[in-house]
Amino acid sequence: MNFLAPWFWWGALAVAGPLIFHLVRRTTRERVPFSSLLFLRPAPPRLTRRNRLEHLLLLALRCLVLVLLAAGFARPFLHALFPALAPEGPARRTVLLVDTSASMRRGDLWSRALARADARLRRAGPADQVAVLTFDRTVTPRVTFEQWNAAPVNERAALARAQLAAVQPGWAATHLDAALIRAAELAAEPGPTATELAREVVVLSDLQAGSRIAALQGHEWPREVTFHFEPLPPPPTSNAALHWLPESDETATPAEAPAAVRLRVVNAPDATREQFRVGWAAADPADFAAPPLEVYVPPGQSRVVTLKPPSPVPAGAVRLTGDEEPFDNLVFVAPPQPLPLYVLYFGRDTAGDPRSARFFLERAFPPTRHREVRVLAPDPAAPSPAAEIEAAALAVVTVPLNPALGAALRPLLARGRAVLFVPPDAAAAASLAELVPGAHLAAEERQPADYALLAELDFRHPLLAPFADPRFSDFSKIRFWRHRRLDLSGCPEARVLARFDSGDPALVDLPAGRGRVLVWAAGWQPAESQLALATKFVPLLHSVLDLSAGPPPATVQFSVGDPLPLPELPAAARAAATLRGPDGATTPLPAGATQFERTDAPGLYELVAGETVWRRAVNLAPGESRLEPLAVEELERLGVPLAAAAPPPTLAAARQQRLLAAELENRQKLWRWCLLAALGLVALETFLAGRAARRHAMLQPASS
Amino acid sequence: MNPAPPSPAPPAPTAGRLIDPAVLMGIRHLELRARVVVEGFWSGLHRSPYHGFSVEFTEYRAYTPGDDLRYLDWRVLARSDRYYVKRFEDETNLRCHLLVDQSRSMAFGSRPYTKADYAATLAASLAWFLHLQGDAVGLLTFHETVGEYLPPRHRPGHLRRLLFLLDRPAAGRGTDLTAPLTRAAELLRKRGLVVLISDFLAPLDRLQAALLELAAGGHEIVLFQILDPAERTFDFRHPAVFEDLESGRTLQLDPAPARADYQRRLAAHDAALRELCRRLGLGFTRLETHQPLELALLEFLRRRTERGRRLLRVARPAARGPSPNR
Repeated sequence: MNFLAPWFWWGALAVAGPLIFHLVRRTTRERVPFSSLLFLRPAPPRLTRRNRLEHLLLLALRCLVLVLLAAGFARPFLHALFPALAPEGPARRTVLLVDTSASMRRGDLWSRALARADARLRRAGPADQVAVLTFDRTVTPRVTFEQWNAAPVNERAALARAQLAAVQPGWAATHLDAALIRAAELAAEPGPTATELAREVVVLSDLQAGSRIAALQGHEWPREVTFHFEPLPPPPTSNAALHWLPESDETATPAEAPAAVRLRVVNAPDATREQFRVGWAAADPADFAAPPLEVYVPPGQSRVVTLKPPSPVPAGAVRLTGDEEPFDNLVFVAPPQPLPLYVLYFGRDTAGDPRSARFFLERAFPPTRHREVRVLAPDPAAPSPAAEIEAAALAVVTVPLNPALGAALRPLLARGRAVLFVPPDAAAAASLAELVPGAHLAAEERQPADYALLAELDFRHPLLAPFADPRFSDFSKIRFWRHRRLDLSGCPEARVLARFDSGDPALVDLPAGRGRVLVWAAGWQPAESQLALATKFVPLLHSVLDLSAGPPPATVQFSVGDPLPLPELPAAARAAATLRGPDGATTPLPAGATQFERTDAPGLYELVAGETVWRRAVNLAPGESRLEPLAVEELERLGVPLAAAAPPPTLAAARQQRLLAAELENRQKLWRWCLLAALGLVALETFLAGRAARRHAMLQPASS
Repeated sequence: MNPAPPSPAPPAPTAGRLIDPAVLMGIRHLELRARVVVEGFWSGLHRSPYHGFSVEFTEYRAYTPGDDLRYLDWRVLARSDRYYVKRFEDETNLRCHLLVDQSRSMAFGSRPYTKADYAATLAASLAWFLHLQGDAVGLLTFHETVGEYLPPRHRPGHLRRLLFLLDRPAAGRGTDLTAPLTRAAELLRKRGLVVLISDFLAPLDRLQAALLELAAGGHEIVLFQILDPAERTFDFRHPAVFEDLESGRTLQLDPAPARADYQRRLAAHDAALRELCRRLGLGFTRLETHQPLELALLEFLRRRTERGRRLLRVARPAARGPSPNR
């Protein structure tokens, strides 16, 4: 007979209780006060018959009840042959995700991660498949399943170790969600063999609270893939983060450069330090270029401080000291620099003529912090050099298109830019075919009796979408004295964005390759309409410019890994331009690139084009500074099933055996019989004890 | 003929007139208890043709001119033609000292009341009785030392003060009869009646020394030994740890086998005590707390009467001296 819980046999020691009670129940500790012990001599109670064990049957019954109770609690079961232990589980298909985000640079986190990965790789059996991925804001495969399977069995772990040893944590943010989704998909892929595989994703990460997990919300985790998290608990440290708060006023002109830099100091909730110093960083890593500010920030709170720049050009690095984690203590600051945009105007207007369309066009684009629009007016008869065309963001044509002009503007369209064509008369409309071959645009001059109004606007189009709000959608106050009546039957692809109240198209969007041609049926100069004088004019032209060149950059601060937008430069200037990274290395601009993507370290990135230098600050992602651990339950809440840590094989076997024993015991349920017998004995004992007590009570008066 | 004085043996109160001590002790007020005892006893005495021993004839002496003729014994004169004057006990102005033991051993009681309660009631009853007779009663309480001392007086309010002192709870611990009785012998300068109420559960040699010292003062001494019935019978049933109330000493004891030895030793102590009293001429009365208190008064009165007779016998030859027969 075996027992499932043999330690309950200790309860059988309780039989000592009845034995002791039977022995000592007559030994009283009763104290009797007496007047004098003068005539009394010591006479200790002798061991009489009553003090010896009596009622042996009752004693035996009571002891037996206790033994039976102990036996019942020990869960007995009859030993039977256990079924053979199940063989070791199926082969595993494991995706090992190793965090290489900036927060892993702390202390010995990375070496511990490598050690854990090594231990995992050692446990991989010959039939197991392992892929090793590293992730920060991107996922980088280090060892694929194919490479693993192709390698000899005894060299697989070494291969993966070597790959991981070559990796160092970077500076990027932790996009855990993307990495998990990618790993889960990889693990769920059918393997090369038809055998059943246990699929799992193992994450080695510090799992700090700044990790991004939001995308897991909409992802359905594959049911067959289990998730194992091997936490790398960091030593408890006190961290504070420094963030640059750039000015976000887009309407301010570049001349209104801020005289000071605003910075936010955020102290972690579990921080032990509260006093920090913030100042412009000097070349010496521990020194400041100017006397720093003393900042007091209680744990879990933030303070905004203002720092005056040491030089007229407020670009550089600001350092924070006073916390225990140095990896996020440097923030780079570069004030916004406007990107130049070129708008080509082809017309016969003279500069400064207030009756001309050019007059109003030139004044519609005041410079802002993010964008500096320059209107160039080359001669339409002799189109501008290709360099200008290449750098142009928009072309406005108010003359009939000639073949030379059409050929010159076509590369603009090929780059996805827009051409705003305003035919000066009905005959000029047909010249659109010079720009868009195959487009037959017929027009006739139309002069309404009084004036025409815009009646039907398509606010779903990106051009007019900014006006969709009812507060801005009223175009009915703009009067058109005359316009061209466009016949779009020859342009089936044309989309009418606005119509006059007569039903004639007023604004037409005509796709042309990657670009588009916007045809205005009336000019904005006062001779033709009130558009140039209306409040809608400037936003409308900016909308056209945004449609052509894209919206201005929303931010002037970038995180590591964010692409840096590059200004439109003429080919020659672009060829000479170089990009200097924070480490001082210069790289030529790749041809045709509109953005620079290799921002893999925080610092100031400078684009040098001739004498012009554009600076962009690339900083650590703010989330990386949130070092408190993320609750794994958050992942479970987002649908990632967290598996329990796999026990060692010996423990697993013991558990298996215990489970089988529990099953056997559950079937036999011998404890019920023990309990039943104990109850029966209790009833018998009660009966016998009652009888003995009655007999004793009957004898007692007689003796007294 | 010398007239034999009348025999004033008081009638034994019948059992119906006696008050059960358990009922009596239910009365909380000590003064009331004493009054109940004495008045019940007094009413019993009124049936007798004698009005108490205080009017008892004690001696004759020869008449000398100037004596009050009211006390001239006309019968003796008629018989013997001699002039004798009767003297009575109440003329002797009796001073009675009540010595009451208030040690911790008196706090024992197997009944709802203790020996100390019983002793206090006995002392109060005696005091009341004597006060009614017009005698001076004093009180001395003791334990290991003298507690309270009230000299004998017969004044208004004196009895009340005495009862008040009796009613105070005992504060003593041990019984050392030697020291307090020696002290009492010093205090009781004038001869008188000394009533010693105690359990006398003390070594006999000490007791003997103390009583000798007291008796040497010429006092008439009456001992009342107060015992609880359980002290005599020792009828405890179960083994227990017995704790000495005075010394705090404990003794683990099985009562059944120890009973005989205890009773034997107690009886020996009792016999020795009686023998000592006999030798010293002391009156000794043993009372158990279940016995009615009237018995104590009766015993007291009987002893007084006997003493009166004895004195009379002693005085008679002296009286015969001037007898007309001579």
